[in-house]
Amino acid sequence: MSGRSPRGLGAPIAAIAMLLFAVAADAVAAPSVDATIEPSQIEMGESARLTILTSGSGTLSVPLPVVPGLEFRVVGQTRQIQMINGATIESTSTIIRVTPEEAGLFSIPGVTPNSPPLVLRVNPGHGGGSLSQPNGASPGTAPLVPGSSSANGLRLTPDGSAFVRMEIPKHEIYVGESIPVEIQVGMRDGFVASVNGLPKFNSSDFTLNNLSHQPERAARVVDGKPFTVLSWRTLLAAIKPGTFSLNFETPLTVRMRTRPLRDSMLDDLLGDPFLQNIFGATVSKNITVASPEAPFTVLPLPTQGKPPDFGGAVGNFKISTEISSLTNTAGDPLTLRMRVNGSGNFDRVESSMLGATAEWKTYEPKATFNPADPTGYRGEKVFEQPLIASQPGAHIVPPLSFSFFNPVTRRYETARSAPLKVAVSPSAADIAASNPALSANAKGTPADDSHSGLRPDHAESEARVDSLTPPYFERPFLGVTSTVALLFGGGWVALRRRERKTHDLQGARERSRSQMLHALLERMAAASAAGDEGAFFNAARSALQQSLGARWLLPPERISLADVDGRAEGADRADLRQLFMLADEANYSGGPLQAADFERWTELVRRQFAPESPS
Amino acid sequence: MLIALAWWGSKCLAAPAPAPAAAQAQAQAQAQAQTGYSSAALYNLANAYARAGKPGLAVLNYERAKLLSPHDADIDANLRHVRETAGVPPEARKGFERLAGIAKPRILAWVGLAGLIVAGAGALARRFYPRRRGLLLAATLVGICLLALAVANAIAIWPVMHEAVVIAHTAPARVAPVPIEEPLFVLPEAAIVSMRAEHDEFVLIQTQAGRMGWVPSTSLAPIVPKRQTK
Repeated sequence: MSGRSPRGLGAPIAAIAMLLFAVAADAVAAPSVDATIEPSQIEMGESARLTILTSGSGTLSVPLPVVPGLEFRVVGQTRQIQMINGATIESTSTIIRVTPEEAGLFSIPGVTPNSPPLVLRVNPGHGGGSLSQPNGASPGTAPLVPGSSSANGLRLTPDGSAFVRMEIPKHEIYVGESIPVEIQVGMRDGFVASVNGLPKFNSSDFTLNNLSHQPERAARVVDGKPFTVLSWRTLLAAIKPGTFSLNFETPLTVRMRTRPLRDSMLDDLLGDPFLQNIFGATVSKNITVASPEAPFTVLPLPTQGKPPDFGGAVGNFKISTEISSLTNTAGDPLTLRMRVNGSGNFDRVESSMLGATAEWKTYEPKATFNPADPTGYRGEKVFEQPLIASQPGAHIVPPLSFSFFNPVTRRYETARSAPLKVAVSPSAADIAASNPALSANAKGTPADDSHSGLRPDHAESEARVDSLTPPYFERPFLGVTSTVALLFGGGWVALRRRERKTHDLQGARERSRSQMLHALLERMAAASAAGDEGAFFNAARSALQQSLGARWLLPPERISLADVDGRAEGADRADLRQLFMLADEANYSGGPLQAADFERWTELVRRQFAPESPS
Repeated sequence: MLIALAWWGSKCLAAPAPAPAAAQAQAQAQAQAQTGYSSAALYNLANAYARAGKPGLAVLNYERAKLLSPHDADIDANLRHVRETAGVPPEARKGFERLAGIAKPRILAWVGLAGLIVAGAGALARRFYPRRRGLLLAATLVGICLLALAVANAIAIWPVMHEAVVIAHTAPARVAPVPIEEPLFVLPEAAIVSMRAEHDEFVLIQTQAGRMGWVPSTSLAPIVPKRQTK
């Protein structure tokens, strides 16, 4: 071998290398698909992960498998590009979440015709709650997760997200008896997305009063976990005797884990629902949560000792009666009331009250119920019956009775009221009938029509009107009345405004006058202090001119000594005249004046501005 | 022309024939609207209906007569008699209604207007004649009292404006204004009900016991008829 030239081997090696390269290039260029599912065995309420890995130079689209009973949803996709020997290789990994809708063994077909199928086993859950699926598949009875538990007498759903509870006071009831029942729906905070309907039961042996659409809401801790509890209170009644069991169901939408519980333990430790929601680890699912079945023994009502007036009322009741008036006129109606108080099935509490008697004409009673609690289990039913005494005299309203079955004493009971005494006086018609002299009316016609019991016709003497509508509701009358009212109202308002305006004007004048007096007195005081007679008397004369002008209704600047001579009266007349003269003198002669004079003249000016000045 | 005739004929055939009592009440209302109303005429008409065994129309006319003569003892007596005969419980008048109805509404309306004038004039005159303040204050108070009496009477009458009498032999009341519904209850003839609403040929009524239902409008006649447009 060593004797052979290497040049002679070069060509075959190159050919082999080229062949290998071509084979390798072909091998990496051809797309391949690989699918795996893990885990291959899960329980109801969990999800498996299906991973489809495609690789090759071209893009391969893989359709989602379709398997009845399994739900497939793409939750993620990664793409990787590699260069191998100059060839571009693209690999894509698609992660699909597989959520079972029912238990069983499922075969997921291969993603390509040549791929082998995948097998997924879904074990049924175990526990108290039941799950019913939208497609009507039978619900599992075992809990979905090992953590499902019965706590505090409650039976939680397999995943511990909700419970329904029924509280009843007793399990042995009589046919027709109403018992208060409370239905509680507990929802673990963050787990239950919505309540999709009111609690209901599927038994035809019981009746249930309507449930409110706004139940009571309360927070409660169950096994250390927070729950919101919705409570409905209503009445339950049995229709027929026998032994029955009863439970309530409520449709809910819950958020379920999509990962096995062992992977979710950390979530649970950290306050699971929110972390699961953040990382997309839950899926919404409609479930129906049922309460534990409650046994009932429904007893028939005894036939022995049943009162003839028993109408089906079961409970404990008391009655009382009253009448609208103990004195009345024959022919006038009275109202007889019977009050039935207590607890029980008030919808069966009926009474015909008083039947027609020779003394009383009776009418059909009407009933109103006043519940004392929201369910209507306790309360008062009031029957009202119109009565008319046909004859005057002392009448007795007979005692009324009401029969019911008491489930506590287990026998029929009859409640009776006391009789009522009513004094009925004769009516005007009775008096007229007994006195022939009064039996004719003012028109001279007979007072009674013996054939029909009607009073006779009237003679038409009055003027006719064109409408029966009272004038209050006629537009012309309303228009006239409104106009008159508006006129008076407007006049009153106008008068008030005028008075207010006058008052305001007077007030303004008074204020102006007071301010001016103040200013002039200050000027007088200043002039007095300075010994300036001219300024003092000028200010004093101006002040007097203001006062006298307002009094005599003259312009103040035109008031002169002649006006003072002609109009001034009283003790101050001479002083006024002298002050005017002194003012002229001080102006024109400039003669000296004593300091005491200033005080005297100042006092005179003040007197003139007093409210009741003599001039 | 033929098309128009055919359309008119079809309309005539399609139109429901009113009940006899309703037609009678309608004809009576039209006749009275032309001739006018009087208490005596209404009372006599009611007596005629009562004798003819038509308690609904009798009660209707008694109630109308009461609007014009609220204190006529004959009207009260016959109304009570007819209602008893028809098995309808009698009406119990409340104290306020008795007080407010001391006179005819037509008189009280004008008394109220006079009271308004006296009260208004008295209030204004007190401003001009301060020396007669006491006398004018008394006049004002009297006017206010008269006005209050008229207002009380109007309030007492107001419910009657929306009341009707069942004039058919029986009037089924239904939960909805359609004839296919099962009746909730049946109103007897001569019962008085309050009208709450109207829809097509039905009236929503409320009985004195508080029950409500839709009744055919042909079974009812309002106590105060609507004014006929001339």
